[in-house]
Amino acid sequence: MFNSIINKIKKKPAYFFLAKLLAFLLLVFAIDYAVGNLLHYFYFKQKGGTEFRTTFSIDNTKADVLIFGSSRANHHYHPYIFEESLKMTYYNTGKDGSSIIYQYAVLQSVLKRYIPKLIILDIVNKEFIEDADTYDRIASLLPYYDSHPEMRRIIELKSRFEKYKLVSKIYPFNSAVLKIATGNTNSSKKRNPDIKGYIPLTRKWNQPLTEYVSTVTYRLDYKKIAFYEAFIRDCEKAGIQLFIFVSPYFGKVAHTDYSFIIADGIAQKYNIPFYDFSTDSLFTSQPSMFADIRHLNDDGAKLYSAKVADKVINHVKK
Amino acid sequence: MLFNSIEFLIFFTLVSFTYFIIPHRFRWMLLLAASCYFYMAFVPIYILILGFTIVIDYFAGILIENEQGKKRKLYLIMSLVANIGVLAIFKYYNFLNENLSLFLGLASVKNPMPYLSILLPIGLSFHTFQAMSYTIEVYRGNQRAERHFGIYSLYVMFYPQLVAGPIERPQNLLPQLRQKFNFNYARVVEGLKLILWGIFKKLVIADRLALYVNSVYNNASHHNGTTLFLATIFFSFQIYCDFSGYSDIAIGTARVMGFKLMTNFNRPYFAKNIAEFWKRWHISLSTWFKDYLYFSLGGSRVSIPRWYFNLFIVFLVSGLWHGANWTFIIWGAINGCYIIFSNITHPLQSRLSKIAWLSKYRGISQCIQIISTFLMVSFAWIFFRANNISDAFLIVRKIFTRPGSLFFENSSMLIFSFAGIFFLLFAEIKKEYYKGKFSFLNNENWIVRYFSYATLIILILLMGVFDGGQFIYFQF
Repeated sequence: MFNSIINKIKKKPAYFFLAKLLAFLLLVFAIDYAVGNLLHYFYFKQKGGTEFRTTFSIDNTKADVLIFGSSRANHHYHPYIFEESLKMTYYNTGKDGSSIIYQYAVLQSVLKRYIPKLIILDIVNKEFIEDADTYDRIASLLPYYDSHPEMRRIIELKSRFEKYKLVSKIYPFNSAVLKIATGNTNSSKKRNPDIKGYIPLTRKWNQPLTEYVSTVTYRLDYKKIAFYEAFIRDCEKAGIQLFIFVSPYFGKVAHTDYSFIIADGIAQKYNIPFYDFSTDSLFTSQPSMFADIRHLNDDGAKLYSAKVADKVINHVKK
Repeated sequence: MLFNSIEFLIFFTLVSFTYFIIPHRFRWMLLLAASCYFYMAFVPIYILILGFTIVIDYFAGILIENEQGKKRKLYLIMSLVANIGVLAIFKYYNFLNENLSLFLGLASVKNPMPYLSILLPIGLSFHTFQAMSYTIEVYRGNQRAERHFGIYSLYVMFYPQLVAGPIERPQNLLPQLRQKFNFNYARVVEGLKLILWGIFKKLVIADRLALYVNSVYNNASHHNGTTLFLATIFFSFQIYCDFSGYSDIAIGTARVMGFKLMTNFNRPYFAKNIAEFWKRWHISLSTWFKDYLYFSLGGSRVSIPRWYFNLFIVFLVSGLWHGANWTFIIWGAINGCYIIFSNITHPLQSRLSKIAWLSKYRGISQCIQIISTFLMVSFAWIFFRANNISDAFLIVRKIFTRPGSLFFENSSMLIFSFAGIFFLLFAEIKKEYYKGKFSFLNNENWIVRYFSYATLIILILLMGVFDGGQFIYFQF
């Protein structure tokens, strides 16, 4: 009987094609499911590296003080300074190239688990610029789509069809195979040692101070501004003490960045302390405090963290 | 709508499915409507430009066929002027204007011509050249004028090759647009395999290499010669996989419905000299220039200096065809010089190949020829890819004078890039030298075949760059 059905289908090439296509798609789904689950297992088993830190920020940390921001947040806020001055536990969720959209998604997952006592949000030059890369970088949250419903609407901003692409079990781990492989070895932890999420930079900048080239006007991404405001609102609602900082750059600027003005305005609306160290002369006079023009090195981070901790303590005292 | 998007996947499935279920007499309407929709997905208003050239060329074709003597030539010229005029306004006007301003600026004279704030219509050079080939062929008597306006419009607008070729000839495409194609299992599978391989080349290789190339070329002044050299080699593979990947998807898309478009690439990096490279690279454009420009200038049946001049002009125009920028013109000029040099030294090359002891090492000498041709082509690509002329010269200078340690943001970026190139070379070496052997996608054993398709899909999911953006040649 089976053979007669096959023979009947074979006589109609379109049906024959569709039957074979269906069989092939089943094969692809089966392989995708198996490989995807294997990658999922090893992704969440990593012992070190960027993805490990992302997972730890989202699923594990219970620290009192959380640092949010991009690579500048990650390299600028020294854990020991905060732990000693504030007598609180610390974790740095800062991630290279991440935007306020990523940071808001991480905050949502954190708030689902517990309420930190204090959050420091570090914002960068052109934080609210319209830039397609921002949405591409949401890809780093794809592995959390299934297990974190609170992140879904943010992840779906990546593209119109993201929900459908995620039918594939491999897709969330696209381009991450090598990172997953190295993240599962001990060498990963040794090569990129972090102290509670903070990664110290050891290089010393030795070039003279020059004008930091910054576009005066640029197109704004209003979604980013909305996420920034939502970040403030959610912290306020949860009763978290929120501080917003702009950490130092090694450069002179002719104009205050447009995003800083907007961020400051919104912070003022909610009575959130906003401190701008972007052109602080204590740092711009010392190139040796920097690893490059955008990042402080470990020495610079210690000095800056002490200043930040002072500001926080003074504010709390008030 | 990009070929590497989910939107296109849905569009292609719907159009192909509808194509086979509707009666033959309605198919041209379906394809024309689909092509209009496809084109309007970019900048809708620009369909009017296409409409303008279609109307002109449609009537020009009929008038050329109906007339005798000088009037035929007049109608041809009118058609060519209309097409080249559209190109001149939308593609070259601002470039010419900028250069005029510079020139007049030397004499402290203000350029009175205004700057046009217009976007270049997508694929303009492709469909304009395809339209021109129609009127030229009608004029030459090789093609009867198409009386059916819908079919002619479809010839210019056929969506698989509308925005980036292959640039078809009327003798090949027009008869197929009237032909009835029934569903054919083998043909559909052949088309889908081409599409799959094209997507692999675009997403896994081209867009991955683009990450490195863009980060280096967009900051050329910050990188040393070693990094710039690697980025240049990567760009050679990127542009090949980007464009040939597009062509494969275009040819495959048409093939599913039964149409056979012309081959556009024939493993060009296995060419042993520049002349051979141009016979293998962007074949539809190279043959267009050969048929309609090179032969019109007299080809090789002229004095030697004039022949060299003809060759140089063809490559210069080819450079200009790619874009209104001096980088493209210099790229064309370099290729023209290569061809002329190759022709001058041809007798010496033939004598060398006859030397007995050298012929013993044919494999090695062929290998050297392939690598040296690849390096020459890659050198020219520097000018094609550089953001401007000064960057191009800086890159050349640094490659030859400033070696240093290699830049890479993370090791996986380089490993994925090399892995992509390895896959490509593996497939191309197999096709070039072991045709019919070690077949994967065409293996007789269905298990091997199916697992090969599945492996390609899994590799795309694992290694593809899904947010890579559009094809390089769309801008032309």
